[in-house]
Amino acid sequence: MVRGYSRPRSLDEALEMLARLTPRALPIAGGTDLLVDLREGRLGECHLVDISRLEELKVLEKRSGKIRVGAGLTFSEVERSGLLRECAPVLVKASSQVGSLQIRNVGTIGGNVAHCSPAADTIPALLVHRARVVLRSSNGSREVALEALLGGPYKALLAPGELITEFVLEDASHMWGEFSKIGRRRELAIARLSLAALARKEDGRIGELYLALGAGTPVPRRMESAERALLGKRPQEGDLWEAGWLMAQEMVSVSGPRPSTHYKEKAACGLLVRTLLPLLEDGS
Amino acid sequence: MEWIGRSIPRIGAQTRARGKALFGGDVPLEGPLILKLLRSPRPHARILSINTERAMKNDGVEAIFTAKDIPGRNLIGLITKDQPLLAHDKVRFVGEPVALVAARDEESAIRGVEEVEVVYEDLPAIFTPDEALDPGAVPIHEKGNLLHRRVVVKGDVEDALSRAHLVVERTYSTPFLEHACLEPDAGWGYVDKDGTLVIVASTQNPHYDQREVAELLGVEKERVRVIQAATGGGFGSKLDLTVQGFIGLALYHLRRPVKLTLSREEVFLATPKRHAMKIWMRTAARRDGRLLALEAKIICDTGAYSSYGVAVATRAAVHATGPYEIENVRVESLAVYTNNPIAGAMRGFGVPQVAFAHESQMDILAESLGIDPLEIRRINAMRPESVTATGQVLGESVGLLEALDAVEPHYREAMEEWKKGPRRPYTARGVGLGAMWYGIGNTGVRNPSTVKVQLDERGRVVLYIGAADMGQGSTTVLVQMASETLGISPEEMEVVIADTGLTPDAGASSASRQTYISGNALVRACRKLSETLLEEASRLMGLPRGELVLRGGNVVSKEKPERRVSLAELAALAKERGVSLEFEGHFDPETTPLDPSTGQGIPYATYSFACQMAQVEVDLLTGQVEVRRIVAAHDVGKAINPKGVVGQIRGGVAMGVGFALMEEFLPGSTRSFKDYHIPTAADMPEVIPIIVESSEPTGPFGAKGVGEPALIPTAPAILNAIADALGERIYALPATLERVCEASIRAGWPKMGKGGGPR
Amino acid sequence: MNPEEKIRISFRLNGREVEAHVLPGETALHLLRERLGLRGVKEGCGIGECGACTIVVDKKAVNSCLMLAAQLHGCEVLTVEGLESPVGLHPLQEAFLEHDAIQCGYCTPGMLLSAYALIISRGVPTREEIVRALAGNLCRCTGYHQIVDAVQDAARRMAGKEEGRW
Repeated sequence: MVRGYSRPRSLDEALEMLARLTPRALPIAGGTDLLVDLREGRLGECHLVDISRLEELKVLEKRSGKIRVGAGLTFSEVERSGLLRECAPVLVKASSQVGSLQIRNVGTIGGNVAHCSPAADTIPALLVHRARVVLRSSNGSREVALEALLGGPYKALLAPGELITEFVLEDASHMWGEFSKIGRRRELAIARLSLAALARKEDGRIGELYLALGAGTPVPRRMESAERALLGKRPQEGDLWEAGWLMAQEMVSVSGPRPSTHYKEKAACGLLVRTLLPLLEDGS
Repeated sequence: MEWIGRSIPRIGAQTRARGKALFGGDVPLEGPLILKLLRSPRPHARILSINTERAMKNDGVEAIFTAKDIPGRNLIGLITKDQPLLAHDKVRFVGEPVALVAARDEESAIRGVEEVEVVYEDLPAIFTPDEALDPGAVPIHEKGNLLHRRVVVKGDVEDALSRAHLVVERTYSTPFLEHACLEPDAGWGYVDKDGTLVIVASTQNPHYDQREVAELLGVEKERVRVIQAATGGGFGSKLDLTVQGFIGLALYHLRRPVKLTLSREEVFLATPKRHAMKIWMRTAARRDGRLLALEAKIICDTGAYSSYGVAVATRAAVHATGPYEIENVRVESLAVYTNNPIAGAMRGFGVPQVAFAHESQMDILAESLGIDPLEIRRINAMRPESVTATGQVLGESVGLLEALDAVEPHYREAMEEWKKGPRRPYTARGVGLGAMWYGIGNTGVRNPSTVKVQLDERGRVVLYIGAADMGQGSTTVLVQMASETLGISPEEMEVVIADTGLTPDAGASSASRQTYISGNALVRACRKLSETLLEEASRLMGLPRGELVLRGGNVVSKEKPERRVSLAELAALAKERGVSLEFEGHFDPETTPLDPSTGQGIPYATYSFACQMAQVEVDLLTGQVEVRRIVAAHDVGKAINPKGVVGQIRGGVAMGVGFALMEEFLPGSTRSFKDYHIPTAADMPEVIPIIVESSEPTGPFGAKGVGEPALIPTAPAILNAIADALGERIYALPATLERVCEASIRAGWPKMGKGGGPR
Repeated sequence: MNPEEKIRISFRLNGREVEAHVLPGETALHLLRERLGLRGVKEGCGIGECGACTIVVDKKAVNSCLMLAAQLHGCEVLTVEGLESPVGLHPLQEAFLEHDAIQCGYCTPGMLLSAYALIISRGVPTREEIVRALAGNLCRCTGYHQIVDAVQDAARRMAGKEEGRW
């Protein structure tokens, strides 16, 4: 039951409100997950603090080699940003595959992370961009690696009264990036599996590679076994299969066997092969 | 012909484009009471007690009704009356209505529902037909768990099997499906000045609704008037009573305006589904591809109550051969009660399910015999004078060969060029065919429609058509037929649609029957009017009857077109002379009942035929299937409105893509559009619709029907295309990522996982 | 009876200033449809999975079922009722009629508004852009093709004339 609604005019005011109204306070940005929870009766007594219009959450800049991305940016804003297209290509691609246009027009990347669904599209993307998360509360601020925030399915490790204000990404200019998603349909689909990939080739070899899998583990995570298998290589097709299999095994070891494993194990491997084919020497 | 075969704009589209059409939830009344249902959380349980006292203490709650408040017969059902409107002694599925709350506002209604106390005693619940048919199974209904058994037998199957060169035996399964009309069921009601209970609802079946509500309330039929609201899709789900009975009950007791809108979640939980089926088939053929025998056993999960279960099991049996001539047939089809949600009518009444089976069989046979899939269909295709499984000799309107011919160039090009064209690595391409036949109208039962036409005193033609239009376009094609018969443009006519207070009974808008059946009724009514007008004009003008025609709102002399008399003049004259200008036309297709032990008979007066081709690309790494193109050739007899026919075909293909690849209602876990996916615009292939017109002599202007046929061949064609791509077949719908992946592995495609790679 | 506070909001709705007092948990869909009487705003699922309730807020298509009424404050809102003008139907509405893009009509208002938002931001979109922009609007009747045709046609007509009306 929603008992109250406030629209603070500044981030400080929002943080003050969240602190004052804790534990009932609930921030709302795009609301695309929150209103579903509301309809389905998953929200208790709460007071909504509307942060959707806070300019402080819409930061978008490149500063000392890092890309600062406001948590309040909508998926559509991310998709359209020239800066992000150049410096955070995987995040842009992932954002463009979230839900529907109506969802992308209001849903925010901060909300996507805070909701912490295993199938959240932007989390694997942020992981390959090695995002750090800036969190603020009325008590101050902290910065953590994104991994440290992902506590479990639908459990972001936010302190009471704490807001995600921005993500700090490594500059990925001139890197190759891709986000692929397997869904039950082509649009408006929840990821059955998703893979974010970011790479740099140097003299035909893979000099840098970051891979993160979504919807395969309780929370999306980097897949380091597969990354290691390909680093430094001039990859042949067989290498991709090898890496894919390692990734699938890593997924299964993290998740434990489930009814879906039978499919996902193969599909995860296939998804890696499909996604990384452009990295092959002959480009086939 | 002036109006037939023309794509005139769809009647009613403009108010819809403006957002002004009043759908079932768009109540134009001040302050109606809100109705809400308390539904059973148990699949099978005895009701020990219902206590409404606490709930009634809520300020906003006006009344709570339970089974004991139903004054008439608390039993409903389209064919078999086996379902209470509100459960009395026991509940048989999760979601079954138990109590109806009427409240002044939404919140009070919800609280009222929450505070009704029901004590249940659980009974063993049965979720599969196999368990239900077990001799020791708990009976869900007093008469047991078998709702219906339909047998169709002809010839000597044993003998044919012994003579066959090849016998193919497989088992197929299809899931429950949700209709997923965009409009959730809704309606409102009020009591008219003369005391009539008026129910305005989203429905496909207003006259049935009226009869059923009157019986529930124990009142004369005339005391209940059902008017169809603008209806946001039906596809069979709005044939049953959804909100009408509850609105009627509340009106009866409260005599105040009420409204009931189901939430999407309630629609998923509690409205009828497509029958899940298990289909075993054994098909025998000669070396040259000629089919010798078909044996089938079809088990339909009809859920907790019968709805259209009998019709679905019957139609599935009758159509099990597919559109092919087979001399020896033995089909048994069972509709079995379970504690799953009610399964009822959904676009195709069981035929889409059996079509998946018989079309898979055809391709398996073709492959084993080394015959081209299109050829084997051509060899066996029904044609004029073919004899069906029920012993019916077909008439002249059998356009299957023409449909196959129309698809053939596309098929050859797809097989020879597209399939071999460049494609992404680790993908496979396939091409598949699906053919179908579909009997128009109800199966071997009376199936009448009456339409009324009137020339009113102002000289205006008014059509009174009882047929509900849920978007399929029946109103438009019926008006075109009236225009053609009366020589008046559609804009010059008034049409009254689907209002039991004003329109005669046209029967349900189901079974693709309105164009053919109500079309015939309407043409008959219009001919009576035109005959009378010509006679009156002949008398007035002193010209022979044969010299006159109706044209442009006048009776005109063919010889001397300047000699004319307007309809207004004729109306005035007729009034003076006491001649009635109101006529009814009636049509009931000529059918005979199916023999209960052999299933022989003439179940339908005519059949539609179709063939579709699918081109698919399968991602061998992930199991994703992309349907690239569907070519859909449909014999509709005559396309009264070609754009409308194309609209049905495209919409049917979309539903078929969903049936093939993604749709599956899992009782107990499917709750909303979040877990039930239908195709989006992005999932649609290129569709090439082809209209084939094999004129039906008994049809109005040669027309048959297309509503359901449009959907039927799509999934079989797609599944055959997937099998063609993979070299391995899927026997259970939908072809999910998991099933495609499995099939791909079985076929020996790149071993997914360790050591995988190109083969 | 309701212990919740009411929030006063004002916004532009179909070109006119409106004021309303809304409940904190009330959706924009509920406000527009049930309280302001704009019946063209349809509820199909209530969870943003069908697009029937699509409206245009500050030139962007959104699901009104997933937006709080309170969040409309200060916004420019367009519903299907605001699409036509005194001189007639909007080119999109005309194109929908000409292309037979309407069958049952329940998804139509949402489709029109998604299309409208697309055209005012993209001018004449490609077929692929149209498909992507409409993928959040389900239709069970038409198979979508006619709708995509209609949008493309309307966009061309609108390009010749004014840029979207507000």
